[in-house]
Amino acid sequence: MERLSLCLRNLGRHAWRTRIILLIALLGAFLTFTFENLVEDISRKQSDMFGRAFSGHFLVVEKDIETKNSFGFYFYKPEQMLNPEEVSAVRMFLAGLPEVSGTQERIVFTGLYYGKKDAEHGFRGVAMDMKDFNRNFTDMYYATGSPLGGGEQGAAAPSWYEYSRDKNLDIGASYVFLLPNREGEFVDRSILAKGGIDYRSMPKEAIGLSSIFFDLAGFRAMVGYEEPLASEVVGFLADARTSAHVLPRIQSWLDAHEPRLKVVSWREYAPIFAEIVLGFDVAMKTVETILLAICVLLVVKLTTFSLIERYSEIGTMRALGFSRSDITLQFTLEGFLAIAAGAVAGFLLAAGAIGVLHATGIQNSTTFWSYMIGNGFRPSFHSGKIIVVVGIFLAVAVLAPLFPAIRGGRLSILRTLEKR
Amino acid sequence: MAAVRNGITLTGLCKEYRLGKTTVRALRNIDLEIKSGSFTCVAGPSGSGKTTLLNMIGLIDAPTSGTVHVAGEDIQGLPEKLRTRYRSRTLGFIFQSFNLLPVLDVFENVHLPLILHRELSPSAKRERVLEIVEAVGLGEHIRHKPFELSGGQRQRVAIARALVTHPLIVLADEPTANLDSETGAEVLALMEGINRDRGTTFIFSSHDPRVMERAARVIRLHDGGIEAA
Repeated sequence: MERLSLCLRNLGRHAWRTRIILLIALLGAFLTFTFENLVEDISRKQSDMFGRAFSGHFLVVEKDIETKNSFGFYFYKPEQMLNPEEVSAVRMFLAGLPEVSGTQERIVFTGLYYGKKDAEHGFRGVAMDMKDFNRNFTDMYYATGSPLGGGEQGAAAPSWYEYSRDKNLDIGASYVFLLPNREGEFVDRSILAKGGIDYRSMPKEAIGLSSIFFDLAGFRAMVGYEEPLASEVVGFLADARTSAHVLPRIQSWLDAHEPRLKVVSWREYAPIFAEIVLGFDVAMKTVETILLAICVLLVVKLTTFSLIERYSEIGTMRALGFSRSDITLQFTLEGFLAIAAGAVAGFLLAAGAIGVLHATGIQNSTTFWSYMIGNGFRPSFHSGKIIVVVGIFLAVAVLAPLFPAIRGGRLSILRTLEKR
Repeated sequence: MAAVRNGITLTGLCKEYRLGKTTVRALRNIDLEIKSGSFTCVAGPSGSGKTTLLNMIGLIDAPTSGTVHVAGEDIQGLPEKLRTRYRSRTLGFIFQSFNLLPVLDVFENVHLPLILHRELSPSAKRERVLEIVEAVGLGEHIRHKPFELSGGQRQRVAIARALVTHPLIVLADEPTANLDSETGAEVLALMEGINRDRGTTFIFSSHDPRVMERAARVIRLHDGGIEAA
């Protein structure tokens, strides 16, 4: 307490210096705390959004199917379909992984339809369980019309691109579709374009997927599947960034079992999305690092100034019996207190700012931010990030003043007493 | 020279400084005994080696050769930790320029060396400080900062700070040099009284004949050597 009191007196004595350290620490803590928590949210939202909107965070498919860089438009032969036992085994294994939040089986195929004026159009078909296809589960939703029901036949939900931009399909009208059956032969069916699917969080100008969605059970019944085969099992992760360590575990399990399956990350067909998140994170971290470096340099500089100014005081204290480590502790504690006080104020301000953003949300309509964080973005606190940021500032608060403080402790008593 | 019990013994003490290519001999083969409880003045003109001698006894400087024994122990040979302890437990320092910490008031300045005395309770420390501040006649100024005090009052604070740890030896480097003659005399009288009442050894330096007159013993230095002791 006595030392603490002495430190506080000294901080008060060098008020302008203390204020500079306080302000820098405050700014650094505020921005680092805010950035880290915002980037965490953006990162989660991005990985979740893109992972779910396209084809899940990962796919389990037959090993020989070429998927790389094909953006999900891969081709399979009928014999490459997974049978119900294989699908069930994979889904059971995935259900046991804590990082995996859900799985779906799908049939992905390439088909044709005859739109207005009988023009022929190719499309990517996705047959999936429409019961799970709701706003809670995915960022996609039905823009107009009514959702497909479970087991519904003769109806499809085209993507926004199909029904709105190119206007090849009208909601409520029926068109002739050519769909592949179990043998890979195309069968023609008259299908109602029942509801359009939009990508809520993405700029429609940028994402032009000509996909058409079908209910899985309805599709199977429509084209005559006698057994419920699937072309892929789609997996979702609670946090898509865990894929780096989860996917190898899945692959090693697949390697140990028949048939020959492989797991494919969504990042493989959409590396640009992962790069955007990474780029954003790197940019924020660069700003944080620069701020921290400025903070450290300023504290080192100002503590050194203080040291030079207080040579005589150091000499007096040493003559009175204070050891080298006492002097080091004294100057370190002073620097620590100034940084810690500034950092605490910065954390509190940042917490207030995030709290307000969480309560009110960020509404935006510009394409870039809509693309990055979606509309109605509500950032929140992440305990992992809070621990990291507090840890960094504790380290800075101890280490930044330590170097000049050690120098102060090593000064010769005689030389310090001679300085006036 | 054999070390005296409870006193200070300097044997063959030399100190040389290098100033560029020149070697300055600040102390030349000093042999000296100072008895415990004495009131000793180290006198001599500027540059005679007074401060260097006090710095040797105070472990602020190290000799080029020779030894300093205090109560029979070679203090210059002590490891750093024990040197620090020696300064905090055995010695008290009074500086010519007072060297008070400007952010601290009288109470806190006097209390400063007691931070290192963890064996004392806060109330015991407080009692000690109040007692010594009263003894130097600054009871009414206890919450004043150094800049609010006169030169004489500041030196009294420095004396109180030097005495608060109950040291065996007080080293005072020209304690009256920055004071007018009347205030200087008051400060000396105060030191004398403490020496008489508590038996604390006082070794102070001065080149002022009026100060030397007050000392029980005067050691005269000239060009780093003892002229008369």
